[in-house]
Amino acid sequence: MLFEFDSDQQLWQKTVREVTAKECPSTLVRTVVDNGADPAPLWKTYVGLGWTELVESEAAVELAIVLEELGRATDPTPFLATTTQFAPLVAGRTQPDRAGAAVYEGVSAVRDADGWLLRGTAHRVLDGDRADDIAVVTEAGVFTVRADQVSARRTSAFDPVLHLADIVFDDVRVEADPDTDVDVEKARHVALAGLAVTMVGACRRILDLALDHVRNRQQFGVPIGSFQAVKHRAADMHVAVERARALAYFAALTIAEDDPRRRLAASMAKAAAGECQSTVFRSGLQLFGAMGFTWENDLQFALKRARAGEHMLGSAAEHRALIAEEYRATLV
Amino acid sequence: MQLSFDSDVEEFRAEFVAFLDEHLPDPSEATVRARSSADVPEWARRWQRVQFDHGWLLPGNPPEFGGRNATILQQYVHLEELSKRRIYHSFNPQGLGIIAASLLSFGTDEQKQRWAVPILRAEITAALGMSEPGAGSDLASLRTRAVRDGDHFVVNGQKVWTSGAHDADVLLTFVRTDPDAPKHKGISVLLIPTDLPGVVRRPFPSVADGDDRDFNEVFFTDVHVPTENLIGELNGGWSVANGSLGHERTLLWLSFADRLQDLVEDFHPRTVLDRDRYATLVMDHQALKLLGSAALVRESRGAQDVPALSVLKLLGSEAVQTAAEHALDAAGPDGLVHPATTSAYVPWNLDNFSSSWFERFVRSFAGTIAGGTSEIQRNIIAERVLGLPRG
Repeated sequence: MLFEFDSDQQLWQKTVREVTAKECPSTLVRTVVDNGADPAPLWKTYVGLGWTELVESEAAVELAIVLEELGRATDPTPFLATTTQFAPLVAGRTQPDRAGAAVYEGVSAVRDADGWLLRGTAHRVLDGDRADDIAVVTEAGVFTVRADQVSARRTSAFDPVLHLADIVFDDVRVEADPDTDVDVEKARHVALAGLAVTMVGACRRILDLALDHVRNRQQFGVPIGSFQAVKHRAADMHVAVERARALAYFAALTIAEDDPRRRLAASMAKAAAGECQSTVFRSGLQLFGAMGFTWENDLQFALKRARAGEHMLGSAAEHRALIAEEYRATLV
Repeated sequence: MQLSFDSDVEEFRAEFVAFLDEHLPDPSEATVRARSSADVPEWARRWQRVQFDHGWLLPGNPPEFGGRNATILQQYVHLEELSKRRIYHSFNPQGLGIIAASLLSFGTDEQKQRWAVPILRAEITAALGMSEPGAGSDLASLRTRAVRDGDHFVVNGQKVWTSGAHDADVLLTFVRTDPDAPKHKGISVLLIPTDLPGVVRRPFPSVADGDDRDFNEVFFTDVHVPTENLIGELNGGWSVANGSLGHERTLLWLSFADRLQDLVEDFHPRTVLDRDRYATLVMDHQALKLLGSAALVRESRGAQDVPALSVLKLLGSEAVQTAAEHALDAAGPDGLVHPATTSAYVPWNLDNFSSSWFERFVRSFAGTIAGGTSEIQRNIIAERVLGLPRG
């Protein structure tokens, strides 16, 4: 296993990092949160750069590199839901400029003489309120509906940048048959890896901000970062991030290479990201002291993005249960 | 990034597997057990020599030193194949990995022939004299004194935790040769034969078992060591120390990966909580292998990042300890039994990690204490990886 970026990937990471630093600075995130600014121009930038076209499995590592940086920047666009939740459910039928969302449960499909009726309510759908198209997983297969066919209402969340929506399917009429060839399980692995690497990016941002703070904040006449109690927390945060990052990219790589360990890797990625955010949230906010406890400090965006991920697509504990089950099965 | 190695590495692996299949000692020959890390039974000496002669002992070495000039990635798959079958290539691991390696890096040609080759061929065994009662994490404060007297050094002082010393033929010993210099700049290294007058070795048992005698106190009283036994430059011992511990550093994490692999196989979850902890073990094992292989790739590109290796040591050693404790928990009343066998018996290793659950747990502290404690690793990570100020 050669688990290090090759030179193309290193260059790609550098490019993405430069773009996000320029196009998605925390001042922009701040105006989205405090002034209700529309992130649509940023979305158009991503589209223009071709980032929304990184949806083929083979590009999973390159997509992960983008997602890590967007996690770090607290991306305010529907990029995550579009590329890692919607796209894998509608393989080959995406349009680069249209945002998408995925409904994994809560909707049933009923067949009648004119086609299909979708009914039910999907809760807390990522970007469900601002997607142009919605992929709906049902027992009959995967349907795709336009946003204007459903009624979606945004739910406020502790992460002020995050869009979550409840979507009501009130006998939505669909004429076309559902896609029954979609590998829904694989699509879910893509979603897990994508969310995990986004959380890792947010955790790296928390660590970077905390390091910057403890290097500069003086108490007792010295930078607080010179105290061993502070250093050891920082070291533990770093190890947690490295561990979660390795497992997130491993999941991306198993998707790119269509490796049979994909299922296990996806759960490991999500579980590790969840464990990482716990360590990093607690130590990051603690090291900031009272200054991190304010709305005006940008630390909040990364803290909340990291924590929010733990509440989507299964918690760390749920995925550890899957890992134990899967691994014992693999061993026998 | 790729999940598989390039074909040259896989061909190398296949070649080694074929060698193992042909030459690994039959279990019926491998019945005599070693009593310490410098006590090598006759069958294990023969086995080490076969590997040396075929260039498989330390494949990264040139052929005259038991290798075949293998790349770092080839060395990795070599160790991976050994660990898969729980095979030790040497029963004097510090002799091979630290003492012979230091001699090959810092010794003269004569010193290499006189000591490194016999250690590699298991004709003699070696132990490492670094720590002292007053010099552990602060190794540079060591006080064992060596005073030049004509063509000898006269050595006085004490070492401790010297694994295998009572069974070793030679000790690679760190001594103070200039007490007036700053502490890192007054240290030298002497190769001290244990049969010299004035060398007294006293083995003492570890917490793991009253019969487990690997540690030693070693006392030096007016020991006359020929000056030709000076390894490296006079007062240049600190760079040998960094080199000695550095030799195996890139691959050190593999020993923790091995312990984790053993635990993945041997830990039997019973409760829901056990299963949750078992999943953590599986993740730690995978993450360590991923991060370790990334470090290998960096080294193979000539971009080795030594402080970053502290992440591997900290993660690996702590993960082993956590998993060993959890496996001990899961054993319930069976966890009380000692001695006990907790995994399949494998004749080609020292059994240390397949003994009772308590022993496996308590031995995990060797990982978090030796070779730089977890606390020291955290300091290194904070200061040299994350750039926090020295306290």
